[in-house]
Amino acid sequence: MMEAVTEKAEEIFYSALEIKSPDERKAFLDRACLENAVLRAAVEDMLASQAKVDKFFSEGGSQSFSISELAGSLAEKPDPSGKEDATPLVDEELGKTIGPYKILQRLGEGGCGVVYMAEQEKPVRRRVALKIIKLGMDTKSVIARFEAERQALALMDHPNIARVLDAGMTQIGRPYFVMELVRGVKITEYCDQNELDTRQRLELFMNICRAIQHAHQKGVIHRDIKPSNILVTVIDGAAVPKVIDFGIAKAIEGRLTDNTIFTAYEQFIGTPAYMSPEQAVMSGVDVDTRSDIYSLGVLLYELLTGRTPFESKDLMQNGVEGLRRTLAEKEPQRPSVLVTTLHGSALTQLAHLRQAEPLKLITLLRGDLDWIVIRTLEKDRARRYETANGLAMDVQRFLDNEPVMARPPSRIYRLQKLIRRNKVTFTAGVMVALALIGGLGVATWFWYQEREARKRAVTAEHMALDAEKQQAQLRMEAEDRERITQAAFLISQNKLEEADDLVGKVSAIKPSLEADSVLRALGEWNALRGQWTQAAGRFKLLLDADQRDNSWAITEDLLKAGPIQIERGDMQGYEHFRRAALARYIDTTDPVFAERTLKICLLSSADADVMKSLEKLSEISADSMKQSGKDPTMEAWRCVSLGLMTYRQGYAPTSKYWCDRCLSYPENNPGRIATAHIIKSMSCYQLGEAAAARAELELGRDLVTAEFTKGLGAGNGGVGFWYDWLFARILLREAESMIEKPAPFEK
Amino acid sequence: MNDVTLILDAIARGESQASDELLPLVYNELRNLATARMLRESAGHTLQPTALVHEAWLRMVGDGSQAWKNRAYFFAAAAEAMRRILVEHARRKSRLKHGGGQQRLNIEEIDLAGTAPDDKNLLVDDALNELERVHPERARVVVMKYFGGMTNKEVAEALGIGERSVDRHWVCAKTWLFKKLSDQV
Repeated sequence: MMEAVTEKAEEIFYSALEIKSPDERKAFLDRACLENAVLRAAVEDMLASQAKVDKFFSEGGSQSFSISELAGSLAEKPDPSGKEDATPLVDEELGKTIGPYKILQRLGEGGCGVVYMAEQEKPVRRRVALKIIKLGMDTKSVIARFEAERQALALMDHPNIARVLDAGMTQIGRPYFVMELVRGVKITEYCDQNELDTRQRLELFMNICRAIQHAHQKGVIHRDIKPSNILVTVIDGAAVPKVIDFGIAKAIEGRLTDNTIFTAYEQFIGTPAYMSPEQAVMSGVDVDTRSDIYSLGVLLYELLTGRTPFESKDLMQNGVEGLRRTLAEKEPQRPSVLVTTLHGSALTQLAHLRQAEPLKLITLLRGDLDWIVIRTLEKDRARRYETANGLAMDVQRFLDNEPVMARPPSRIYRLQKLIRRNKVTFTAGVMVALALIGGLGVATWFWYQEREARKRAVTAEHMALDAEKQQAQLRMEAEDRERITQAAFLISQNKLEEADDLVGKVSAIKPSLEADSVLRALGEWNALRGQWTQAAGRFKLLLDADQRDNSWAITEDLLKAGPIQIERGDMQGYEHFRRAALARYIDTTDPVFAERTLKICLLSSADADVMKSLEKLSEISADSMKQSGKDPTMEAWRCVSLGLMTYRQGYAPTSKYWCDRCLSYPENNPGRIATAHIIKSMSCYQLGEAAAARAELELGRDLVTAEFTKGLGAGNGGVGFWYDWLFARILLREAESMIEKPAPFEK
Repeated sequence: MNDVTLILDAIARGESQASDELLPLVYNELRNLATARMLRESAGHTLQPTALVHEAWLRMVGDGSQAWKNRAYFFAAAAEAMRRILVEHARRKSRLKHGGGQQRLNIEEIDLAGTAPDDKNLLVDDALNELERVHPERARVVVMKYFGGMTNKEVAEALGIGERSVDRHWVCAKTWLFKKLSDQV
């Protein structure tokens, strides 16, 4: 099935070919394509390529070749199987040699190919697993994609990862991959066969997370994590999971753009139950490490409950669209809820395989494990764990009865954890503490315990981080995410300086709520210390990454970032910043966004272009003032923006009106009032009212001086935030230089 | 009646699995023919697939008594066999050229316009695999016309569609394949 537009284009193209006269052909195209530019372009493209197409295919039908060459090559190879594509490989492959590998034994057949045990003679004699991809496909691009990743794959060296050694093309043109030979069973089977309890399952799972983390740090994404790709071998009595097939999914998946190819995809990749929502969309959104996190979540889900969040069968029953919708919209049941819905014998069986009583199993899953699983399965990848390591650490915290990250921590919850972790000590501690010094002692002791636990966790993350050097872009991203996670940790501990050091090394981030809040906190922290360059850097990272429009938080971030640029003395940076902000909000219809955009764009006088673009926003603001009385705080600020806009437009009387109106609001917000006085002073000066200008300037200056003398704090909506005060001070400087030091020959 | 005739009759009766048996037979016959020709002809002689296929038909089935439908089936199979022979041949040559061992085609090295026939066959074969998934009927037309050297009339008979449809499929498929290949390069 071709897309509709392609079919239509081909129809027109084929008809147009028969029209030889250029003019007639053009007229025909005008009629046939109407105004559809895409269609027209497609048809023109096809017509234009005809000369080349004909040249290229000129041998078609009369292809000739040198007979001696052909016959010679045929004689060399007496019996090609003559079969390709979807026909299954037959065991006649046994004993054959593929490249330097001799096929010994068939190990199994999966959705995507047949796996053989093979022997390699040179350079070392060893046994390997050789996987031949079943379906005839674009072998060349498969191998090209594999080659592209080969270097990264070679860097992976981890006891829980089976190495991919080689790739090539069989004699009949199928791609094959050579891997370290792993003899083991599927992880889910292993767990059930050995009736591992939940703790043992989680420990195996953490090993897998660490292996995946290792790969991510080397810049390799697996893309096809599922039980059949994780084999468990027993070495010296210990279960060792090995992740196989690294790099293969990427090599064989290619460009998946439409439903047709999806069918092929399904044949290769197999189970859609492990597919992340972004993989299912296939809209060209890059699949990153967080897609693996999702699949790890599905694996965890299955290890815990014996089922996947969505069953493959259900996912596929409504076709591709149904699959995408389910993955994008339907929330999975929490593991504990799912288990509760199981019927008697199924539940007993499930619990039995985990060596638990049914009720105990449910209690065990409920709470922390539910949250951990749900966080890995978030639809929005920015909300998942940032790294596989983060996921493993949370599982570890659960096993250690420490508070997990996946749950928004509440005091009671942490206390519960603490009590469970230190039952004896706690009881004794509470008794002693209550008897001796009362509640304060408990609090201090509680805080101390928490800090120690955190310190251990942070040290662990530090070590994981320091162990590696940057190798590739992806790996850098993984590390950057790691830094953000760690910084979030430090910030929650009030260690902002350490957090800031860490984030200072981050070069780029992928947007996530966590990254936003970390960068916001550190941007403010730097700003309040007058470290403008650092502050500007943090906000730049944040604003570059977070391209969400219509977000209240983003306009607030812009309000913060604007004054920082100017305080830094980087007027060029500010110019760039204001144009970017303007481009982002030029089409807004929200009066609050309009007001904020006006304000941040007018911190210094602007050129005609900018002023012109701002007019529309100014009108939105002014219109909204016609029906006033709804939100006095916001309205009063809107008056400031309108006062500033009209002043910059050269309408001094109007500007004075808005400033007066601003000053008439009953709410006594010194930040806002100072700003209104300062703008008014400049308007008065423009009108030649020198005395009034000086008076207004004094009023504004007193407030600003008082605030900065006392020391700029974070502030609040009642007295003005820190950035409101920066804003006032910037305008104050402008007013002072104009009113008090008039240069006689100003340009 | 010989094997091929029996198989062709079976296909005509609708026993579709019979076509699986036809292909290896035709493939071998074509190979043998080419080898025999090599012994007869001088080294520089060139060969047209269409001649080879016609000769195979005459040798394996004979003319006259057979229904035209059988001939169509035979030609379809022969075109597919030719495709494999030519692609196989091109791979082998490319392997020799690249010093044996594993074959790695470097697509950047290939200039689409001036591609040698062998490399061209490999490229077309690859893109054809893709076309097969998107538009199987068109892919069959390409196999018969490009690799089998069949005329529109022969293809129309083999596929049971009109000649004009064949032409349209061929023109559109060529354009599609060429675009696919240009995008790759």
